[in-house]
Amino acid sequence: MRPSRRMVLTLGGGALATLTMSVRVTAAPTEIIEMRGTARGERIWFAPRGLAVASGTTFRFVNRDPGNSHTSTAYHPDIFDRKRRIPEGAQPWDSDFLLPGESFEIVLTVPGVYDYYCQPHEMAGMAGRIIVGQPDNPEWEGPSDDAEDVMPEVLAALPTVADILRLGRIGLEGDG
Amino acid sequence: MKKLLPLAAAMLVATTGATIAHDEKALQQSPPGDPYVQVSDALPLPEFIPGLGMLFVDPATLPAGPFLAYDHDGRLSATIYMTPLEDLQDGATYDGLGIGSHSVAGVDIYYNAGHPGVEKPHAHVVLYHDDGAKGRLAE
Repeated sequence: MRPSRRMVLTLGGGALATLTMSVRVTAAPTEIIEMRGTARGERIWFAPRGLAVASGTTFRFVNRDPGNSHTSTAYHPDIFDRKRRIPEGAQPWDSDFLLPGESFEIVLTVPGVYDYYCQPHEMAGMAGRIIVGQPDNPEWEGPSDDAEDVMPEVLAALPTVADILRLGRIGLEGDG
Repeated sequence: MKKLLPLAAAMLVATTGATIAHDEKALQQSPPGDPYVQVSDALPLPEFIPGLGMLFVDPATLPAGPFLAYDHDGRLSATIYMTPLEDLQDGATYDGLGIGSHSVAGVDIYYNAGHPGVEKPHAHVVLYHDDGAKGRLAE
């Protein structure tokens, strides 16, 4: 399993290098989303779990949980045959398992709503929502209305689009 | 299967109160040997998990275990069981589980939301084998 994980990380790094070059040119911002958990693993979460950003923002997912591994995985048919919960045309991603201290980066450009989850913690509702751009953008695609291929715990954990757009970010460390 | 026999014998002792002697020595120091595998070698988890230490398990006993927990010096410090709550609610039982050592100085039971290997929300049942074990496994 480890070679596979490292392979993905390596490939991710290669893709990132290309993306990073364009980021430097456009000076697009970088947002950090931490994977966190309590000492005994009673609760685990993305911090923040809701975030609104401009197109071209780089996301760095960092595992800050010393006792657990996590993934950032987009809901998409190309990844475990899940129903799509990111804009059509957007590139799906899967960080594979990140051990404590490891990170993974991706750049999101297509406007719309992106839902993602942590593979080993989906049942515990570890999921997040990113909004790229604004609803008045002609390419914008709103949130998925599918409720069949997603766990109730995830739906309960995802902030509403309205709240994310109103607040900018939701669920910083300490407020769940 | 060599190590399963002392584990099974230990459980028998624990449940009957008898004083049947068996070989615990093989499990007292890591690595415990076949059929146990180090959890971090088989799953994407840290080699030393704060609170749980270095874990070894016989894959055939998943998800419940026993997981043998060793400190940084390789000393057996705890035996841990992981029981999915949903499975228990659905009627699953985990009977006759092995134990790493007859000596139990304390027991902690707490909820865990899941991790690779046991992804369903579950309970950790931790049997510490000496007074200092909890501290040695903490970090």
